[in-house]
Order: sequence, then C-alpha cells, then structure tokens
Amino acid sequence: MAGDETGARLDEDSPLSAEETLALIERQQREVTRRLGVNVALFYGPWGAAYLLGFGSVFLTYPSALPLRLPGGVAAAITGVLFAAAVVVSVVNGTRAGRGVRGPSRMVAAMYGWAWTLGFCGLAAVNIGVTRLAVPNDAATLLWSGSSLLLVGVLYLAGGALWQDRFQYGLGVWMLVTGAGSVLAGVPGNFAVLSLAGGGGLLLTAGYFTLRPPRPRP
Amino acid sequence: MSAIGSLPGLDPVIHAQARLRVTVALAALATGDRITFPRLQQLLDMTAGNLSTHLRKLEDAGYVQIAKTHRRRTPVTYVALTERGRRAFTDYTAALRALLIPPTDQPGD
Repeated sequence: MAGDETGARLDEDSPLSAEETLALIERQQREVTRRLGVNVALFYGPWGAAYLLGFGSVFLTYPSALPLRLPGGVAAAITGVLFAAAVVVSVVNGTRAGRGVRGPSRMVAAMYGWAWTLGFCGLAAVNIGVTRLAVPNDAATLLWSGSSLLLVGVLYLAGGALWQDRFQYGLGVWMLVTGAGSVLAGVPGNFAVLSLAGGGGLLLTAGYFTLRPPRPRP
Repeated sequence: MSAIGSLPGLDPVIHAQARLRVTVALAALATGDRITFPRLQQLLDMTAGNLSTHLRKLEDAGYVQIAKTHRRRTPVTYVALTERGRRAFTDYTAALRALLIPPTDQPGD
C-alpha cells in the first residue's frame, strides 16, 4: 500500500507506539509546565509565616491570658524581618518565573505584581495622611489592619479572576472577612485575628498549592 | 521488537521524538507568548545545533515563528508556536488518541 510509504515514523532508533508517544507528550508537558511555571506556594508560605509569627508576636506584647509577654522591640524585629523576607521572596519568585518568556502572560503577571506595590503605596499615603490628624492610637492601629487586609483581599480576588483560580479567589474572600473581623475584635484582639485567621488562611493556601499538581496554562 | 514503528496518518513534521518535544514545550506556553532560544534549549536539554535544525523544519512547515530582535544591543531569538502549529499539535494528539480507541463498528463483512 502506497499509504504506508508516507506513514510517519518516529526517530529510527526508538520507534514508539501510539501509547508511548502519548505518554511522552504527557511526561514532557508535566516537565515543561513544572519548569516554566511559577512556584505558587512560595507566594503564600512566607506571608503566612509573617502573619502568624509577626502579628502573633505583636499580640504577645499586650497583656493577655497567655503566660508569655514579649518586649515591643522583639516583636517589631520579628515582624520587620519576616515581612521584608516575604516581600523579597515574592518579588524574586515572580521575576524568576518568566525567565526567557515574553508575551501577554508575562504582561499580565507584571501588571499584577505592580498592582501590589502601587496599591500599598496608595494605602500608605492615605493612612499616613489620616493618622497625622489627632486619631487615637487604637483607631490608627485598626485603620492599618483593616485597610491592609481589605487591599490584600481584593488583590487576591483579582488574582483569582485573572488566573481563573477559585482557591485564590476564596482566599481573597477569607482575607476580607479577616480584615473586617480584626477591626471588630479591637486592639489587641485584631493582632490575634490577623495572626491566626490571616496567617492560617495563607499557610493553608500554600499547602494546597504545594500538593496540587501544576496545571497547564489557559 | 513489538513497537509499532509506522503510524500512518500522523503529521510527519511533529512525529519525530525531538520535534515532538519541541512542539510540546512551545504548546505549554500561554497563547501569544514566546520564549528565548537559550531558555527553550535549557528546558529541552538539547544542543543549540540540534534545536536549530528541528526548529527550522517546524518553521518551514509554518508551525513555528522565529523572530530575531535586539535587547540592549544583544541579539535575542524568540520562538513561538504559530496558530497553525498549535492546531497541528492538537490534531496530532487527537489522531494518536483515535489510534488507541479500538474500532467499534466495522462496516462490511
């Protein structure tokens, strides 16, 4: 039959069956998706740790039912170092992901990354402006924790929408609830809410993305 | 040797192990994205010469677009799957799957 003559043939040295070829495609797809893709869990783990331990340590500077009491300087140091580390890990992780790739997906990722920076610059400007007025200390504290969590929540909602990820969207909703809850809890309960609910939600998300196999891009 | 060497009806451009790997890697990019030659080479663990040869064959078939530009005076080569290439890859995997499904209703005697 003449048709057999043109029948396609894989590399002569390693003829593969249809099954083997499909297996090769799937293996290669997984490998490339893993190596090209960003380590999503790394965007949440360091923030989860920073929330849990940072806000947790701030809570422990106040008198509470717990036997432990931390000096303010120690809590400030823990919080500062952990949040700075989380920023660095996020920026490095986000930048490394798109190494050697250009195009619409990288544009979306860069704009989303900048949305965090720009959003927090705007938030800081507003909050610093407001707290320069004679605002009671507790009101200033709640303003910062409530508005920060509101922005974090909205950015996770946006991220969930951009990458069609329900789990990330759900985290956004959770962070909005956490922010509102922190304001309702008052000082110093707000720090406990941020630590446990905020940090817990972020660590849970990190765990989820660690266990979930990487998905091919849309 | 039980392996089937010849699979008729499959796109011969894609149906070669090395070019198949190149195509899979490019298809894993988001639509409209392109990748630098060295990064693709690194992802595939291929030599530059080998990768160039296969890319040229894919380009000749209209499956791959290769663009040479400069970034800060350094020449950069970007590689992307064309729409035609993406479709060819989808058809190719569909054809492979069809080969695995045993024919159900055989007409005739």
